Amino acid sequence: MEQLLPIAIFLFVLFLLLGTGVWVGLALLGVAFVGMELFTTRPAGDAMMTVIWRSASSWTLTALPLFIWMGEILFRTRLSEDMFKGLSPWMAKLPGGLLHTNIVGCTVFAAVSGSSAATLTTVGKMSIPELRKRNYPEKHVIGTLAGAATLGLMIPPSLTLIVYGVTINESITKLFIAGIVPGLVLAGMFMLYVVAVSRFSPGYRPDPEPPMSFSQRVANSRFLIPVLLLIMAVIGSMYLGLATATEAAAIGVIGALALAAAQGSLTWTNFVESLLGATRTSAMIALILAGAAFLSLSMGFTGLPRHLAEWIAAMQLSRFELLMMLLVFYIIIGCFLDGISSVVLTIAVVEPMIRAAGIDIIWFGIFIVVVVEMAQITPPIGFNLFVLQGMTRHEMSFIARAAFPMFLIMVVMVFVLIAFPQLATWLPDNMRPSAAG
Amino acid sequence: MASAIRRALDAVYDLAAMLAALCLVLILAVIVLQMASRWTGIPFPGSSEYAGYLMATASFLAFAHALNRGAHIRVSLFLTALGPRRFWGELWGLAIGTAASGYLAWYAVRTVQLSIKFNDVSQGQDATPIWIPQVPMAAGAVLLAVCFADNLITLIATRRDNIRASAIEDAAE
Amino acid sequence: ETWDMPMAYPATNFHSENASQFAACVKEATGGALDIVTHAGGSLFSGSDIKRAVQTGQAPIGERLISAHANENPLFGVDSIPFLATSFADSDKLWAAARPQLEKVLADQNLVYIYAVPWPPQGFYFKKDVNSVADMAGIKFRAYNAATARIAELAGMAPVQIEAAELSQALATGVAEAFISSGATGVDSKVWESLTHFYDVQAWLPRNVVFANKDAFDALDDAAKKALTDCGDTAAASGAAKSEELTAGYLKTLADNGMTVSGPSEQLEADLAAFGTTMSDEWVSSAGEDGKAIIDAYRGQ
Ligand code: NA
Ligand code: NA
Repeated sequence: MEQLLPIAIFLFVLFLLLGTGVWVGLALLGVAFVGMELFTTRPAGDAMMTVIWRSASSWTLTALPLFIWMGEILFRTRLSEDMFKGLSPWMAKLPGGLLHTNIVGCTVFAAVSGSSAATLTTVGKMSIPELRKRNYPEKHVIGTLAGAATLGLMIPPSLTLIVYGVTINESITKLFIAGIVPGLVLAGMFMLYVVAVSRFSPGYRPDPEPPMSFSQRVANSRFLIPVLLLIMAVIGSMYLGLATATEAAAIGVIGALALAAAQGSLTWTNFVESLLGATRTSAMIALILAGAAFLSLSMGFTGLPRHLAEWIAAMQLSRFELLMMLLVFYIIIGCFLDGISSVVLTIAVVEPMIRAAGIDIIWFGIFIVVVVEMAQITPPIGFNLFVLQGMTRHEMSFIARAAFPMFLIMVVMVFVLIAFPQLATWLPDNMRPSAAG
Repeated sequence: MASAIRRALDAVYDLAAMLAALCLVLILAVIVLQMASRWTGIPFPGSSEYAGYLMATASFLAFAHALNRGAHIRVSLFLTALGPRRFWGELWGLAIGTAASGYLAWYAVRTVQLSIKFNDVSQGQDATPIWIPQVPMAAGAVLLAVCFADNLITLIATRRDNIRASAIEDAAE
Repeated sequence: ETWDMPMAYPATNFHSENASQFAACVKEATGGALDIVTHAGGSLFSGSDIKRAVQTGQAPIGERLISAHANENPLFGVDSIPFLATSFADSDKLWAAARPQLEKVLADQNLVYIYAVPWPPQGFYFKKDVNSVADMAGIKFRAYNAATARIAELAGMAPVQIEAAELSQALATGVAEAFISSGATGVDSKVWESLTHFYDVQAWLPRNVVFANKDAFDALDDAAKKALTDCGDTAAASGAAKSEELTAGYLKTLADNGMTVSGPSEQLEADLAAFGTTMSDEWVSSAGEDGKAIIDAYRGQ
C-alpha cells in the first residue's frame, strides 16, 4: 500500500512530540505541519490559519465554555455538595455505592449539554472531590467518569449527531430520538460494571455512608431541588422552544448563578474564580481544537482516511464483516483523530458502503456515536483523557488505563446494537414530532 | 531590571486573561440578547457571529495565562522518567513550544494582513470586516509565543520555568 | 498534477456528483495530466472558507455558493435578488447578463470562473395556508442573511436567526415556523415532520460557482486550460439540467409525505412581485452602475 509511508511519518512525529512532553495542542500542530510540508505544495501556514480561525470563531463552540462555567459555579458554591447530600442516601444503598453518582450525574447532564467535555467537567468538578473524601478507589472514580461523560455525545442534544446528520442529510430530530434508548442502555451497562467492580475488586472499600431512615432520605432529597430546578430549566427551555441547544448553555449559567445567589453562596471571589477557571479550561480545549483542526486539514490533503475507507470498500464484505471492519477502522483512527473529524473525513466513502449493504442510516449514526465515544477515551489523542488530566493532574497513561474497562463496555455496546437494532430504530420509527411542535 | 520585566510580563498575561474572562461574560450577554430578540421580535442581526468572535478572543487571549497556570496539558511520563536530567526534557519541550507558537503567531498576524488586503468581510448579517475580530486572535497568538519564549529564557537562566500548575484539590474546600 | 477541490455540500448532493463528473472529464481530456480530486462535505475547507482558500492558493480550485459573498461585493448577490428572476429560464437570462461583470470581479480577486450551476428554486415553507402577504403577519420566519431578513421585514414577519445546523430542531420546537429555501432543503431536513405547506414561488435560484486560482490556472499548458473550460461548459449544462429534473422530484417527495405543495395564489404572486421591484431597486442602489447595467440588460431581453 502506497499509504504506508505517510502513515509511518505521521505516527512517528506524533509519538515523538506527544511522548516527549510537548503540549498537546502544539504537538498536533507540529504533526499537521510536517504532513502539509511533505505531502502538499499548498501554503501550510495560511491554510492552517483558515481552519483555525473557522474552528476558534465557531458559534456552536460557544456552548462549551458556558457549560464549563456552569460546572465551575456549581463546584465553587454549595450546590454540588448539596447535590451529593441529596443523591448519596439513595445511591449508597446500591451495590457500588456513590460511584453511581458519576454515571447518573453524567446521564442527566448529557441531556443538558451536547458535548462530552462539558459533561465531564460539570460532573467531575462536583463528584471527584466528594468521592475522594469518601475513599473511593481513584482509578474507578476517574475511569467511570471518563466513560460515562461520553454519554454527552449520545443522549440528545449531541454535537456529533448534528454533524453526522448534516453530512448525510438525515433528520437530526430523528437521530436525537434514536440516541435516547441506546444512551440509557449504555448508562445501565456502566452501572452494572460498577456493581461488578464493587463485588469483585478487593480494594473497593469506601467509607460507609451513615445509616439513614427512609424519612430522613426523603428529607435529604430537598438538597436535590436546586439542581433539579436547574436541569429542568435548561432542558425545558430547549423543548419548549425558548432556546436552541446552543443557547440552553446560557440558561444553565444564569440558573446556576441565580441558585448560588439564592443560597447565599455566591461571593465576588467565587464568581471571579469560577469565571477564570472556565476561561483557562476552555482555552486549554481551544488550543487542542486548533491543533486538531489543522491536523484534520493535513490528513484531508494526504487523503489518508479516505484511502483507508476506500480500501475497506474494495473488499466486498458481508454486512456483519463490514461493521466489524468499520469498528476496527474507527477505533484505530479514533486513537489519532477527534471523533467528529474522523466522521467528516471518511463519511463520503463510508456512507455509500452502508447504504449499499442495506444498513439503516439512522442506526448507523448511533453506531458511529459509540465509536466516536470510544475515541474520546483512547490514547494518545482522547479528549476526555486530556480534560481529566487538566482536572486531576494524573498521568494520561493512568487515566487511559482507568478508562479502559469503559472502552470494552462500549465495544460490547456495539454488539448489543447489532443484536438488537430496535434499540436505536424503534423510537424514531414510532415517534413523529407533531406538526404543532 | 529583570524583575521589572518579569512583573510587566506577568501583568500583561493576567490582563489578557481578564479580557478573555470578560469575553465569556459578553458571550453570555450576546446569547441572552439573541434569545430575547426572538421572544420580543426585535431583530439582533449578526448575534451568532458576534458570539463566535468573542469565543475566538476569549480562547486566544487566555492562552498565555493558561500556560503559566499549567492549564495546557502535556504527557509528562517521559519528563518524569528523566529524573535529574529533567531540565533537558523541559528545554526540548519549551523549545518546540516556542517554535510552534511562534509559527502560529507569525501566520496569525499574516492572516490579519491578508484579510485587510482582500477586504474580507463576514458572510453573516453582521458584515464585519473580518480583520477586526482577527486582531485579538493574532494578539493572543503573539502573547502565547512571547510567553513560551519567556519560559524558555527563564528556564535557561534559572533552571526553573514560570509554569505553576494547580489541580482540582487545591480549589476544594 | 493533482488539484484538490474543496466543496461544501455532501458527496451525494447533485452539485458534488456533477463536480465528480467534471473532474473525470478533465482527467480524460488531459490524458491524466490534470487530476482533480473532489473533497465533498466541507471535509477540506468549510464552505465559508473556500473562496478565500482558492484566492490565496491554499486550494487550486473550489466551489462556492457565490451569493454568500454578497457582503463583500453586492454583485456576488445578483443571482439572489428575491422575486426578480423567478424561473430557470429567467435565472439563466439574468446570469448571462451578469456573467461578464462577475468574471471580471473574480479575476480581480485572482480567480478564474470555470462554471456555475443553479440550485433548485427557493420556495416558502409554512405551517398554514398563506394566500397573500397579509397572511404572513407575525409568523416566526427563519432569516439567515440580509435578504431573508428584509423579506421578513417587508412581509411583517418576525425574523428569527437560526443556523442551518439547528433548523430541524428549531422547526420541531416552534422556535421558527416558516422559512424560505429550495425543495431540496425541505427533503433533506424532512421538513414534513414540522411544517405543512410548501409554496413554489421560485423566489430566486442561487448558484454554486466553480473557480480556479489564477496563478495555478495560468501555470497550466493550453491543452489543460482548454480541458477545464470545455469540461466546465459541459458541467454547467448537465448540472442545470439535473437541477431542473430534481426540482420536480423534490416537490413530489414533499407532497408524497403529506405536505400541501402548490404555486402562489394570484394575490400572493402580485404581492411578491412588488417585493421584487423594491428589492431589485435596493440592490441596484447598493451595486451601483455595474448593477444597474446588469438589471437593464436583463430587463431589456
Ligand atoms: Na448530550
Ligand atoms: Na482517541
